[in-house]
Amino acid sequence: MLSAGKAMKFSIYLSEGSKHHGVPTYSSILDFLFYRGVSGATVLKGIAGFGADHHMHAASIVEISDNLPLKIEFIESREKVNELLGKLEELAGTGMIEVQETTLAKPAKISKPKAPVLPAHLKMEGKAKMMRIYIGEADRWKDKPLYNALVEAMRANDIAGVTVYRGILGYGAHRRMHSDKTLHLSHDCSIMLSAVDTEEKLRLFLPLVDQMVEEGLVVLSDVDIIKYSYRALDVDMPESPSGSASV
Amino acid sequence: MKEQYQARMVRIHFGEGDKLQGKPLHEAIVAKCMELGMAGATVYRGIEGYGASTRIHHSSHWTFSKDAPIMLTVIDREEEIEKLIPHLDVMVEEGLIAMSRVEVIRYSRTSANAPAQA
Repeated sequence: MLSAGKAMKFSIYLSEGSKHHGVPTYSSILDFLFYRGVSGATVLKGIAGFGADHHMHAASIVEISDNLPLKIEFIESREKVNELLGKLEELAGTGMIEVQETTLAKPAKISKPKAPVLPAHLKMEGKAKMMRIYIGEADRWKDKPLYNALVEAMRANDIAGVTVYRGILGYGAHRRMHSDKTLHLSHDCSIMLSAVDTEEKLRLFLPLVDQMVEEGLVVLSDVDIIKYSYRALDVDMPESPSGSASV
Repeated sequence: MKEQYQARMVRIHFGEGDKLQGKPLHEAIVAKCMELGMAGATVYRGIEGYGASTRIHHSSHWTFSKDAPIMLTVIDREEEIEKLIPHLDVMVEEGLIAMSRVEVIRYSRTSANAPAQA
Protein backbone atom coordinates (compact mmCIF):
# COMPACT_ATOMS: atom_id res chain seq x y z
CA MET A 1 0.00 0.00 0.00
CA LEU A 2 1.13 3.54 -0.73
CA SER A 3 2.29 5.82 2.04
CA ALA A 4 2.39 9.61 2.12
CA GLY A 5 5.41 11.26 0.48
CA LYS A 6 7.13 11.09 -2.89
CA ALA A 7 5.41 9.03 -5.56
CA MET A 8 4.99 8.88 -9.31
CA LYS A 9 1.90 9.77 -11.27
CA PHE A 10 1.55 7.73 -14.40
CA SER A 11 -0.73 8.79 -17.27
CA ILE A 12 -1.46 6.93 -20.47
CA TYR A 13 -3.29 8.69 -23.32
CA LEU A 14 -5.29 6.50 -25.64
CA SER A 15 -8.07 6.62 -28.13
CA GLU A 16 -11.29 4.98 -27.04
CA GLY A 17 -11.47 2.82 -30.13
CA SER A 18 -7.99 1.33 -29.81
CA LYS A 19 -7.83 -2.41 -29.34
CA HIS A 20 -5.29 -4.81 -27.95
CA HIS A 21 -5.83 -8.42 -29.07
CA GLY A 22 -9.45 -7.65 -29.82
CA VAL A 23 -10.36 -6.08 -26.46
CA PRO A 24 -10.38 -2.35 -25.73
CA THR A 25 -6.85 -1.28 -24.81
CA TYR A 26 -7.97 0.56 -21.70
CA SER A 27 -9.54 -2.58 -20.30
CA SER A 28 -6.42 -4.70 -20.92
CA ILE A 29 -4.33 -2.03 -19.23
CA LEU A 30 -6.73 -1.81 -16.29
CA ASP A 31 -6.70 -5.59 -15.87
CA PHE A 32 -2.93 -5.63 -16.02
CA LEU A 33 -2.69 -2.94 -13.33
CA PHE A 34 -5.20 -4.75 -11.16
CA TYR A 35 -3.48 -8.14 -11.34
CA ARG A 36 -0.08 -6.55 -10.72
CA GLY A 37 -1.32 -5.06 -7.47
CA VAL A 38 -1.37 -1.36 -8.34
CA SER A 39 -3.13 0.43 -5.50
CA GLY A 40 -5.68 2.14 -7.73
CA ALA A 41 -6.26 3.38 -11.27
CA THR A 42 -8.83 5.56 -13.02
CA VAL A 43 -9.90 5.75 -16.64
CA LEU A 44 -11.02 9.22 -17.66
CA LYS A 45 -12.96 9.91 -20.81
CA GLY A 46 -12.31 13.14 -22.66
CA ILE A 47 -15.10 14.96 -24.43
CA ALA A 48 -12.94 16.30 -27.24
CA GLY A 49 -9.33 16.33 -28.28
CA PHE A 50 -6.75 15.58 -30.95
CA GLY A 51 -3.59 13.55 -31.02
CA ALA A 52 -0.54 12.79 -33.11
CA ASP A 53 -2.57 12.23 -36.25
CA HIS A 54 -4.23 15.67 -35.87
CA HIS A 55 -7.75 14.41 -36.25
CA MET A 56 -10.24 16.23 -34.09
CA HIS A 57 -12.25 13.77 -32.00
CA ALA A 58 -15.40 15.11 -30.44
CA ALA A 59 -18.69 13.79 -29.15
CA SER A 60 -21.70 15.28 -30.77
CA ILE A 61 -25.14 13.95 -31.30
CA VAL A 62 -24.84 14.20 -35.05
CA GLU A 63 -21.63 12.23 -35.36
CA ILE A 64 -21.21 9.67 -32.65
CA SER A 65 -17.50 9.22 -32.23
CA ASP A 66 -15.97 6.13 -30.72
CA ASN A 67 -12.51 7.63 -30.91
CA LEU A 68 -12.74 9.98 -27.97
CA PRO A 69 -9.57 10.51 -25.97
CA LEU A 70 -9.09 8.33 -22.90
CA LYS A 71 -6.63 8.83 -20.10
CA ILE A 72 -5.64 6.18 -17.59
CA GLU A 73 -4.10 7.49 -14.40
CA PHE A 74 -2.52 5.83 -11.43
CA ILE A 75 -0.15 6.77 -8.66
CA GLU A 76 2.50 4.38 -7.45
CA SER A 77 5.99 4.25 -5.97
CA ARG A 78 8.95 4.81 -8.32
CA GLU A 79 10.03 1.15 -8.08
CA LYS A 80 6.60 -0.12 -8.99
CA VAL A 81 6.36 2.27 -11.93
CA ASN A 82 9.75 1.14 -13.25
CA GLU A 83 8.68 -2.45 -12.90
CA LEU A 84 5.49 -1.94 -14.91
CA LEU A 85 6.74 0.53 -17.51
CA GLY A 86 7.96 -1.96 -20.12
CA LYS A 87 4.72 -3.89 -20.33
CA LEU A 88 2.63 -0.71 -20.25
CA GLU A 89 4.59 0.73 -23.19
CA GLU A 90 3.74 -2.40 -25.12
CA LEU A 91 0.07 -2.31 -24.12
CA ALA A 92 -0.35 1.40 -24.91
CA GLY A 93 0.69 0.85 -28.54
CA THR A 94 0.69 4.20 -30.30
CA GLY A 95 -0.59 6.02 -27.21
CA MET A 96 1.43 8.50 -25.19
CA ILE A 97 2.74 7.83 -21.70
CA GLU A 98 3.64 10.53 -19.23
CA VAL A 99 5.26 10.09 -15.82
CA GLN A 100 5.59 12.89 -13.33
CA GLU A 101 6.81 13.20 -9.80
CA THR A 102 4.16 13.96 -7.31
CA THR A 103 3.72 14.21 -3.58
CA LEU A 104 1.16 12.08 -1.92
CA ALA A 105 -0.45 14.13 0.83
CA LYS A 106 -2.83 11.47 2.07
CA PRO A 107 -2.97 7.91 0.84
CA ALA A 108 -6.36 6.29 0.36
CA LYS A 109 -7.48 3.83 3.00
CA ILE A 110 -9.14 0.49 2.33
CA SER A 111 -12.73 1.39 3.05
CA LYS A 112 -13.71 -1.82 4.75
CA PRO A 113 -11.17 -3.65 6.86
CA LYS A 114 -11.45 -7.45 6.71
CA ALA A 115 -14.12 -8.63 9.13
CA PRO A 116 -12.37 -10.15 12.14
CA VAL A 117 -15.31 -12.31 13.30
CA LEU A 118 -16.22 -15.10 10.94
CA PRO A 119 -18.80 -17.82 11.35
CA ALA A 120 -17.17 -21.16 12.19
CA HIS A 121 -17.48 -22.65 8.73
CA LEU A 122 -15.75 -19.72 7.10
CA LYS A 123 -12.42 -20.69 8.64
CA MET A 124 -12.25 -24.19 7.30
CA GLU A 125 -9.03 -25.61 6.07
CA GLY A 126 -7.21 -28.92 6.06
CA LYS A 127 -9.00 -32.18 6.72
CA ALA A 128 -12.71 -32.24 6.04
CA LYS A 129 -15.38 -34.57 4.71
CA MET A 130 -17.26 -34.59 1.48
CA MET A 131 -20.81 -35.87 1.63
CA ARG A 132 -22.51 -36.96 -1.57
CA ILE A 133 -26.19 -37.86 -1.55
CA TYR A 134 -27.59 -39.85 -4.49
CA ILE A 135 -31.35 -39.63 -5.01
CA GLY A 136 -33.79 -39.48 -7.92
CA GLU A 137 -34.97 -36.30 -9.55
CA ALA A 138 -38.62 -37.27 -8.99
CA ASP A 139 -38.19 -37.98 -5.26
CA ARG A 140 -40.24 -35.62 -3.14
CA TRP A 141 -40.27 -34.54 0.43
CA LYS A 142 -43.53 -33.05 1.62
CA ASP A 143 -44.57 -30.64 -1.12
CA LYS A 144 -41.26 -30.09 -2.89
CA PRO A 145 -38.52 -31.95 -4.73
CA LEU A 146 -36.31 -33.82 -2.28
CA TYR A 147 -33.09 -32.27 -3.63
CA ASN A 148 -34.59 -28.86 -3.03
CA ALA A 149 -35.63 -29.73 0.52
CA LEU A 150 -32.17 -31.14 1.25
CA VAL A 151 -30.46 -27.97 0.05
CA GLU A 152 -32.72 -25.87 2.24
CA ALA A 153 -32.13 -28.17 5.19
CA MET A 154 -28.36 -27.93 4.75
CA ARG A 155 -28.53 -24.20 4.50
CA ALA A 156 -30.61 -24.00 7.66
CA ASN A 157 -28.03 -26.22 9.39
CA ASP A 158 -25.17 -23.97 8.37
CA ILE A 159 -23.45 -26.51 6.11
CA ALA A 160 -20.78 -24.55 4.26
CA GLY A 161 -22.14 -25.16 0.77
CA VAL A 162 -23.85 -27.65 -1.43
CA THR A 163 -24.19 -28.22 -5.17
CA VAL A 164 -26.78 -30.30 -6.98
CA TYR A 165 -25.76 -32.27 -10.09
CA ARG A 166 -28.03 -34.06 -12.52
CA GLY A 167 -26.82 -37.28 -14.12
CA ILE A 168 -27.43 -37.78 -17.83
CA LEU A 169 -27.56 -41.56 -17.72
CA GLY A 170 -27.54 -44.17 -15.01
CA TYR A 171 -29.21 -46.87 -12.99
CA GLY A 172 -29.56 -47.70 -9.33
CA ALA A 173 -30.98 -50.28 -7.01
CA HIS A 174 -34.01 -50.97 -9.25
CA ARG A 175 -31.85 -51.74 -12.32
CA ARG A 176 -33.96 -49.32 -14.32
CA MET A 177 -32.05 -47.20 -16.81
CA HIS A 178 -32.59 -43.44 -16.49
CA SER A 179 -31.59 -41.11 -19.27
CA ASP A 180 -32.08 -37.48 -20.25
CA LYS A 181 -32.66 -38.36 -23.90
CA THR A 182 -35.95 -37.02 -25.26
CA LEU A 183 -37.33 -40.34 -26.42
CA HIS A 184 -36.33 -42.28 -23.35
CA LEU A 185 -38.95 -43.90 -21.13
CA SER A 186 -37.80 -42.59 -17.77
CA HIS A 187 -36.79 -39.01 -17.21
CA ASP A 188 -36.25 -39.56 -13.52
CA CYS A 189 -32.55 -38.77 -13.72
CA SER A 190 -30.07 -39.38 -10.98
CA ILE A 191 -29.43 -36.39 -8.73
CA MET A 192 -26.26 -35.98 -6.72
CA LEU A 193 -25.81 -33.41 -3.97
CA SER A 194 -22.27 -32.70 -2.96
CA ALA A 195 -21.37 -30.85 0.24
CA VAL A 196 -18.06 -30.24 1.98
CA ASP A 197 -17.78 -29.41 5.67
CA THR A 198 -16.20 -30.68 8.89
CA GLU A 199 -16.94 -34.25 9.91
CA GLU A 200 -18.83 -33.16 13.05
CA LYS A 201 -21.17 -30.86 11.17
CA LEU A 202 -21.95 -33.46 8.52
CA ARG A 203 -22.49 -36.20 11.12
CA LEU A 204 -24.88 -33.92 13.00
CA PHE A 205 -26.81 -33.50 9.78
CA LEU A 206 -27.09 -37.25 9.08
CA PRO A 207 -30.14 -37.90 11.32
CA LEU A 208 -32.02 -35.39 9.20
CA VAL A 209 -30.96 -37.22 6.05
CA ASP A 210 -32.28 -40.40 7.71
CA GLN A 211 -35.68 -38.79 8.02
CA MET A 212 -35.81 -37.18 4.61
CA VAL A 213 -34.27 -39.77 2.30
CA GLU A 214 -36.43 -42.84 1.94
CA GLU A 215 -34.38 -44.40 -0.81
CA GLY A 216 -30.90 -43.40 -1.84
CA LEU A 217 -27.24 -43.49 -1.06
CA VAL A 218 -25.12 -41.28 1.16
CA VAL A 219 -21.37 -41.41 0.62
CA LEU A 220 -18.78 -39.86 2.89
CA SER A 221 -15.14 -39.44 1.93
CA ASP A 222 -12.07 -37.64 3.25
CA VAL A 223 -11.02 -34.44 1.52
CA ASP A 224 -8.37 -31.80 2.05
CA ILE A 225 -9.58 -28.24 1.78
CA ILE A 226 -6.97 -26.22 -0.03
CA LYS A 227 -8.77 -22.91 -0.19
CA TYR A 228 -12.07 -21.64 1.08
CA SER A 229 -12.63 -17.95 0.72
CA TYR A 230 -15.65 -15.80 0.36
CA ARG A 231 -16.59 -12.22 -0.28
CA ALA A 232 -18.24 -10.46 2.62
CA LEU A 233 -21.75 -9.31 1.85
CA ASP A 234 -22.86 -5.85 2.87
CA VAL A 235 -26.19 -7.03 4.21
CA ASP A 236 -26.88 -10.13 6.22
CA MET A 237 -28.65 -12.75 4.16
CA PRO A 238 -32.23 -13.19 5.32
CA GLU A 239 -33.02 -16.60 6.77
CA SER A 240 -34.55 -19.13 4.41
CA PRO A 241 -38.31 -18.53 4.40
CA SER A 242 -39.15 -22.21 4.61
CA GLY A 243 -38.39 -23.21 8.17
CA SER A 244 -40.06 -26.53 7.54
CA ALA A 245 -36.85 -27.92 6.10
CA SER A 246 -35.12 -27.78 9.47
CA VAL A 247 -37.64 -30.01 11.29
CA MET B 1 -34.15 -49.81 5.75
CA LYS B 2 -30.65 -48.54 6.31
CA GLU B 3 -27.28 -50.20 5.76
CA GLN B 4 -23.87 -48.77 6.51
CA TYR B 5 -20.57 -50.06 5.10
CA GLN B 6 -17.16 -49.21 3.67
CA ALA B 7 -17.00 -49.08 -0.11
CA ARG B 8 -15.04 -47.85 -3.11
CA MET B 9 -15.94 -45.06 -5.47
CA VAL B 10 -14.60 -45.16 -9.01
CA ARG B 11 -14.74 -42.09 -11.20
CA ILE B 12 -13.91 -42.40 -14.87
CA HIS B 13 -13.23 -39.23 -16.85
CA PHE B 14 -13.31 -39.10 -20.64
CA GLY B 15 -14.99 -37.24 -23.51
CA GLU B 16 -18.55 -37.44 -24.70
CA GLY B 17 -17.30 -38.10 -28.21
CA ASP B 18 -15.44 -41.29 -27.20
CA LYS B 19 -16.90 -44.39 -28.77
CA LEU B 20 -16.62 -48.13 -28.32
CA GLN B 21 -17.69 -50.20 -31.31
CA GLY B 22 -19.74 -47.31 -32.63
CA LYS B 23 -21.60 -46.78 -29.36
CA PRO B 24 -20.95 -43.91 -26.96
CA LEU B 25 -18.38 -45.09 -24.42
CA HIS B 26 -20.42 -43.95 -21.42
CA GLU B 27 -23.40 -46.01 -22.55
CA ALA B 28 -21.17 -49.03 -23.09
CA ILE B 29 -19.65 -48.73 -19.61
CA VAL B 30 -23.06 -48.31 -17.93
CA ALA B 31 -24.30 -51.41 -19.79
CA LYS B 32 -21.21 -53.33 -18.68
CA CYS B 33 -21.77 -52.26 -15.05
CA MET B 34 -25.32 -53.49 -15.23
CA GLU B 35 -24.20 -56.77 -16.75
CA LEU B 36 -21.65 -57.27 -13.99
CA GLY B 37 -24.27 -56.51 -11.36
CA MET B 38 -22.71 -53.32 -9.99
CA ALA B 39 -24.92 -51.55 -7.47
CA GLY B 40 -25.36 -48.52 -9.71
CA ALA B 41 -23.68 -46.16 -12.13
CA THR B 42 -24.29 -42.54 -13.02
CA VAL B 43 -22.98 -40.43 -15.87
CA TYR B 44 -22.44 -36.68 -15.51
CA ARG B 45 -21.71 -34.22 -18.29
CA GLY B 46 -19.36 -31.35 -17.51
CA ILE B 47 -19.86 -27.98 -19.11
CA GLU B 48 -16.20 -27.26 -19.78
CA GLY B 49 -12.82 -28.83 -19.18
CA TYR B 50 -9.66 -30.22 -20.63
CA GLY B 51 -7.75 -33.42 -20.20
CA ALA B 52 -4.48 -35.13 -21.02
CA SER B 53 -4.75 -34.08 -24.64
CA THR B 54 -5.16 -30.46 -23.45
CA ARG B 55 -7.93 -30.05 -25.98
CA ILE B 56 -10.69 -27.90 -24.49
CA HIS B 57 -13.95 -29.77 -24.26
CA HIS B 58 -17.12 -27.83 -24.08
CA SER B 59 -20.67 -28.31 -25.17
CA SER B 60 -22.24 -25.26 -26.66
CA HIS B 61 -25.69 -24.80 -28.07
CA TRP B 62 -24.21 -22.94 -30.98
CA THR B 63 -21.82 -25.55 -32.20
CA PHE B 64 -23.74 -28.63 -31.08
CA SER B 65 -20.37 -29.95 -30.09
CA LYS B 66 -20.64 -33.43 -28.71
CA ASP B 67 -17.35 -33.54 -26.91
CA ALA B 68 -18.15 -32.34 -23.43
CA PRO B 69 -16.22 -33.89 -20.53
CA ILE B 70 -17.96 -36.95 -19.11
CA MET B 71 -17.60 -38.33 -15.60
CA LEU B 72 -18.96 -41.75 -14.79
CA THR B 73 -19.29 -42.75 -11.14
CA VAL B 74 -19.68 -46.25 -9.74
CA ILE B 75 -19.93 -46.95 -6.01
CA ASP B 76 -19.85 -50.49 -4.65
CA ARG B 77 -18.07 -52.80 -2.24
CA GLU B 78 -14.37 -53.31 -2.91
CA GLU B 79 -14.75 -56.89 -4.20
CA GLU B 80 -17.37 -55.78 -6.74
CA ILE B 81 -15.23 -52.89 -7.95
CA GLU B 82 -12.29 -55.31 -8.39
CA LYS B 83 -14.43 -57.18 -10.93
CA LEU B 84 -15.06 -54.02 -12.93
CA ILE B 85 -11.48 -52.75 -13.21
CA PRO B 86 -10.17 -55.29 -15.80
CA HIS B 87 -13.09 -54.40 -18.07
CA LEU B 88 -12.37 -50.69 -17.73
CA ASP B 89 -8.74 -51.34 -18.67
CA VAL B 90 -9.94 -52.72 -21.99
CA MET B 91 -12.77 -50.27 -22.64
CA VAL B 92 -11.20 -46.93 -21.71
CA GLU B 93 -8.53 -46.17 -24.26
CA GLU B 94 -7.92 -42.58 -23.30
CA GLY B 95 -9.10 -41.25 -19.98
CA LEU B 96 -8.57 -41.13 -16.27
CA ILE B 97 -9.81 -43.48 -13.59
CA ALA B 98 -9.77 -42.27 -9.98
CA MET B 99 -10.65 -44.44 -7.00
CA SER B 100 -11.33 -43.53 -3.42
CA ARG B 101 -12.40 -45.22 -0.23
CA VAL B 102 -15.78 -44.07 0.98
CA GLU B 103 -18.19 -44.68 3.78
CA VAL B 104 -21.66 -45.51 2.51
CA ILE B 105 -25.11 -45.22 4.04
CA ARG B 106 -27.72 -46.84 1.87
CA TYR B 107 -31.46 -46.31 2.24
CA SER B 108 -33.86 -48.65 0.50
CA ARG B 109 -37.58 -49.21 0.56
CA THR B 110 -37.38 -52.99 0.16
CA SER B 111 -35.87 -55.23 2.83
CA ALA B 112 -35.91 -58.39 0.69
CA ASN B 113 -32.61 -60.22 0.07
CA ALA B 114 -30.68 -57.71 2.10
CA PRO B 115 -27.06 -58.64 2.88
CA ALA B 116 -26.44 -60.01 6.36
CA GLN B 117 -24.10 -57.13 7.17
CA ALA B 118 -26.08 -54.32 8.75
